[in-house]
Amino acid sequence: MKTLNRVTLKRALAVGISLAGIAAGYQVFAADEAKPAATEQPTSLRISPSQYRQSITDIFGSSIAITGRFEPETRDEGLMAVGARTANVSDSGLERYDDLARGIALQVVDERHRATLISCKPANAKAADEACARKFITETGRLLYRRPLKEDEIQNQIKVAGDSADKVHDFYAGLSTSLSTMLVSPNFLFRYKVVEADPAHAGQKRMDSLTKAHQLSFLLWNAGPDDKLIEAAVKGELQNKAGLQRQVDRMVSSPRLEAGVRAFFSDMLTFSDFEVMSKDPAFFPRYTLKVKDESQEQTLRTIVDHVVKRQGDYRDLFTTRNTFLTRSLAALYDVPLVETTDNGQPMHWQPYTYGENDPRAGILAQASFVALHSPAGRTSPTGRGKALREAILCQMVPPPPGNVDFKFVQDTTNPVYKTTRDRLTAHRSEAMCAGCHKITDPIGLALENFDSSGGFRTTENGVQIDTTGDLSGVKFDGPIGLSKAIHDDPATVACVAKRAFAFGAGRSPTTNSDDWKQIERGFKDSNYNFVTLLRQIALSDMFYAVPTQTVAAK
Amino acid sequence: MTTMHRRRVLKGMMGGAAVTVGLPILDCLLNESGTAFAATGKELPTRFVTWFWGLGLGEQNWVPKETGAKYELPPQLQSLKPIQHKLNLFSGGQVFLDGQANNTHFTGVQGHMTGKVASAAEYFGSVDTLIGDVIGKGTRFRSLEVSCDGDPKACWSARMDSGKLSAEVSPLALYTRIFGPEFKDPNAAEFVPDPAVMVRRSALSAVSEERKDLMQNLGAADKAKLDNYFTALRSLEQKLDIQLQKPEPLPACSKPKAPDEEKEVSTLAVDAMARHNLFAQLIAHALACGQTRVANLSITQGMSGLRKEGEPSNHHTYTHEEPIDPVLGYQPKAAWFQMLYMKGLYDFAMAMDGIQEGDKTLLDRSILYAYTDHGAPRLHSVRNYPFVLLGSANGRMKTGLHVADPGGAATRVGFTAMQAMGVPLNSWGVNSNHVSSPLSDVLV
Amino acid sequence: MNLAKLLTRTALVAVPLCLSSAPSMAETRGYVIGWFSTATYNDFHANCPQDKNGGGLKLKYRNLMEIGYSEAEAKSIVDKSVVNLGDDINKRINTRARVNGKPANVANYPEAVADPNIETVSGRYAFGFNLGGKNASNKFEDPDSHDKIDNQLWRAVGCTESFRATPPEQPYPEELSWATLVDSAPGWSIMVSGDNLDKDGPVTITLDRLLQHVERDANGKVMWYATYVVDPSPRSHNVFKGKIEDGWMTIDEGSNLFMLAEHPFYLDIGLRNAHMRLRNEADGRLTGYWGGYTDWQKFAYMYTSRPANGADYIGLYHSLKKMADADPDPKTGQNREISATFRMEGMPAYLASLDGKIVATPVRDKQPSTVAAK
Repeated sequence: MKTLNRVTLKRALAVGISLAGIAAGYQVFAADEAKPAATEQPTSLRISPSQYRQSITDIFGSSIAITGRFEPETRDEGLMAVGARTANVSDSGLERYDDLARGIALQVVDERHRATLISCKPANAKAADEACARKFITETGRLLYRRPLKEDEIQNQIKVAGDSADKVHDFYAGLSTSLSTMLVSPNFLFRYKVVEADPAHAGQKRMDSLTKAHQLSFLLWNAGPDDKLIEAAVKGELQNKAGLQRQVDRMVSSPRLEAGVRAFFSDMLTFSDFEVMSKDPAFFPRYTLKVKDESQEQTLRTIVDHVVKRQGDYRDLFTTRNTFLTRSLAALYDVPLVETTDNGQPMHWQPYTYGENDPRAGILAQASFVALHSPAGRTSPTGRGKALREAILCQMVPPPPGNVDFKFVQDTTNPVYKTTRDRLTAHRSEAMCAGCHKITDPIGLALENFDSSGGFRTTENGVQIDTTGDLSGVKFDGPIGLSKAIHDDPATVACVAKRAFAFGAGRSPTTNSDDWKQIERGFKDSNYNFVTLLRQIALSDMFYAVPTQTVAAK
Repeated sequence: MTTMHRRRVLKGMMGGAAVTVGLPILDCLLNESGTAFAATGKELPTRFVTWFWGLGLGEQNWVPKETGAKYELPPQLQSLKPIQHKLNLFSGGQVFLDGQANNTHFTGVQGHMTGKVASAAEYFGSVDTLIGDVIGKGTRFRSLEVSCDGDPKACWSARMDSGKLSAEVSPLALYTRIFGPEFKDPNAAEFVPDPAVMVRRSALSAVSEERKDLMQNLGAADKAKLDNYFTALRSLEQKLDIQLQKPEPLPACSKPKAPDEEKEVSTLAVDAMARHNLFAQLIAHALACGQTRVANLSITQGMSGLRKEGEPSNHHTYTHEEPIDPVLGYQPKAAWFQMLYMKGLYDFAMAMDGIQEGDKTLLDRSILYAYTDHGAPRLHSVRNYPFVLLGSANGRMKTGLHVADPGGAATRVGFTAMQAMGVPLNSWGVNSNHVSSPLSDVLV
Repeated sequence: MNLAKLLTRTALVAVPLCLSSAPSMAETRGYVIGWFSTATYNDFHANCPQDKNGGGLKLKYRNLMEIGYSEAEAKSIVDKSVVNLGDDINKRINTRARVNGKPANVANYPEAVADPNIETVSGRYAFGFNLGGKNASNKFEDPDSHDKIDNQLWRAVGCTESFRATPPEQPYPEELSWATLVDSAPGWSIMVSGDNLDKDGPVTITLDRLLQHVERDANGKVMWYATYVVDPSPRSHNVFKGKIEDGWMTIDEGSNLFMLAEHPFYLDIGLRNAHMRLRNEADGRLTGYWGGYTDWQKFAYMYTSRPANGADYIGLYHSLKKMADADPDPKTGQNREISATFRMEGMPAYLASLDGKIVATPVRDKQPSTVAAK
């Protein structure tokens, strides 16, 4: 649908049809229903940089430094986690994985770590030792490949470790060679979905137990399964409701859930875009590099506190007055934050509650949203509105046509058009622009009280800022009003449910199914408890449905 | 079975015996366009040279008003005008102290060269060594360090594990070290492969052996993805295979003339720059002869003690004491030294640009990375650092640009150079000096 | 209980935006001091017509001649040496002081070295206050107030090369020390209370030391709107009654001022008979001068304890001693205090007490942060 409409737009331009006519009737539509495709889609997923890091930390501990560059990620259907489906490993990418792997493997076997990370000692540290190598390879390989290794795989790795140990006269160097080999293996770098015959439905297939295990652990923990989950999978427990429920209950109450929730929201809120975002320090001196990092952390802390610790209503994330700040962030927002620790200590995160009449509430008022979706020196209600539609409401905003004239929008010193609203109004008077801007600007303009860096303002070029707007017919004034409208919009909860499913499954759910409606109902009945939503998804049949290799075009 | 066979062959080689590879040495060294070795199609190597001068360029006046390609070189950089199209000027970056005191002549360099501002005891992992780990493998010298003012401690290169490296101060000694009796002509026939590379190469075959198993249950689209992976694996194996073969001959290699015996080290700036020019020739030839791919030169330590003939105060003293000329906007006597050093930078660049390697010069295949310890000299500030990067890193870096990043982290310049040099980092630096995006204007 | 212990035990406190201590005054503005130094009046040619002191070079000649070389010999030695004069000569210069007939370090015993008689300021103008000094020939004219003022400290130091600085430049040694310490030493705050600080009327000005160092922004300048906690120690706590008149804020006469600082950027600022003249800048900063009588030996110690920086520290020591104009020692008659004036800038900040209460808020909506013409 997405591609079709883009094509239609382009064709309309090409044949000179008045775009105003098309755009006027152009409605916002859901962007990420399962993608129609004539060709076959892959079902394997390349693990993301954050999943790679989390897996290494889970398996070997946080003292293993992971220094290196990863292959870039691509976003699809709103998520990097879905883009992982089409992500390949390039020549230079594999070199990077190889460097990462050797760096990690050397640390795991070094003198500082070997006593804790290698559960046996060789008879002679200067020679190969098959028994100890077998033990390490079997235990570690199981966690890396997310399944027990087969005997020939173990043999293969023992040989790698042995040849290498003999060559350089060092058992641990041999082990490190074997470990780095496993770390570049497709068995680690990709998650494969393995299917088997479904005994309950003759002639049909189902996901095998181990595939279910990693789908579950990447959804909830953003990393591979732990030993207990692999054990349950090997015993076939995940193929029955009670066994699956036991594991899901255990996993949602694990501290690892926080890593999963953080990874999901970083992906959904497009925090990867921070890498290419900067602010002009001449205009935003308080937006330091530290503040840039801290603003992402602020939002993730707010989310974890609200949805995991307090188990609050997901919708209240947009209106909550509770957040966390550092002194630098407080200075950016121009609010006081008292820290009574001694001079020279690093700044601490502190809980902070905005007052009843404060214009800031919810995560959209935070710099991680309003600054991320603004250019370096000015705001962009269009950019903010587009991000809000796409990331929060799962709606698609068409891109501007190639020949659009931005002269009004960028001229921030225009003597006539003093506010951004004035400039956008002038821009919209051009017919070809009006249709799309109708979708984005009325919501983005409500955030105009926040400058490009996230600082608060009430005037622009000496003129009072008008922050009225509307969302799907609901009128409001200012960021608080917008937050309430987002809170009440049914698309808000529908969107996060779809994204959470897709984050774990690597594909968007089929939303017209009874299963999906049941998940949505359960989410609603729990007062939109996000952890309950994850649990529902993890327990649903559709989450483990065998992905069809071909999807018929609609 | 074929894999077993390959591994057996490698195992045979693993004895480390000298292997004579029967390549016709004098035949057709480069491909027709001269962009790569003919035999393997491998790109000619990329090199990295750091070049340090002390005490910055001036107050603010050196920053060109225009950014991009159309900018005027400031007075201090006029000597580089003939090769303006081969250089990039970076301005505006700063080192963030994050609560550490500014230990002048040290903290700033510590920040932008190692990415971390810490106590003076910590100086590990400078930009050049991170780059050397990627581009410098398998050469005779991991890197070469020289200093022109007679001070072996003037060098800013430091490995991750061993701290700052000591610099060679005598051109004659450097000549002997590189081109003395131990110098091996890159065209010589004998070659000993590296056992560590053999081990890695052999281990990768174990991954190949997983292929059949993996392919079994996959649909066509997933099979295609996996094929891509194994293509990448094959090219990684080939890269290692190349390291196990005798290196390509280097047609641009020639032995330079030995420098004369040293006269006593003096502190006259012109003497130091004469020594600099000898070093420039030796380093350029060492790079062309494949002896190293990384070199580091310091004119002086940060507190430059060099002086102009007839004037007893040294450069460092002038930066402290000389008032800023209100008309010029900088300290004129201190500027004399800056201009002299920049003429030296031009000479260094020309020594590299004068060596032709196929369709490019040695300079084109390199980055000559000129940096300093302070922004505004009078204040010894750690803001608004000038960096001059020459050469295009084998075409990976655009040149001829002024890139302004006011208030940004100076570490972005080093990070950008690392990107152009293929260092596999997606971010670099600590705390406020942490950067994750390069100055992409210059990257191709 | 010592402060460090008290601090580690104190929980982090976050508070919503409100003035909870309900001060009697209608408005209390907070500032963190983001610029401080000796008040210079940079007109070198008028100030120092002899241009006698020179920089480090002339100092080398003087030092060499003092240890027995002729002028020609001194010149020859300097010409041959560059980085420094060599260990031997340096040692002789540095230990040319004589204590009980034995060589002693000049920086430790500046008293025991001959006065090089450096040039002192003979111009008409200097910033400062009329401290009631009786010697009419000591008086300068303040370029702003046109009062006849006392500022013998400026007279003593103003012909030294590194004091040729016009704000925002600080005298070089002070700027270097400031830049070195500002990121780690506890800052100073200034708090102004009054019914309406944009109009004339009575005000209260409070100075304190802070628990945190000054924060810097993305340009490396002092960050606005950060929150600082005031050090509860009474040592650097100063409260002055004063008034705003014609836009100038002054304090009533007769008070003393004491602010602990961090060596080498001043040991402290102690002013007897303290005066102030401050003003609200259009952009929101608070700028102006503090003056009074201060201990000249402490000021001299800034230089003798950290030689070099282009200053003849022995010369400065002796000229400060000679220019000292108050508090004679009853035994020797030597004045122990010198009239002095310092310039400062305060940047808008939140100030809080240790119990988490906000005691001052920044002046609002002044720093431009809205539109960039890009």
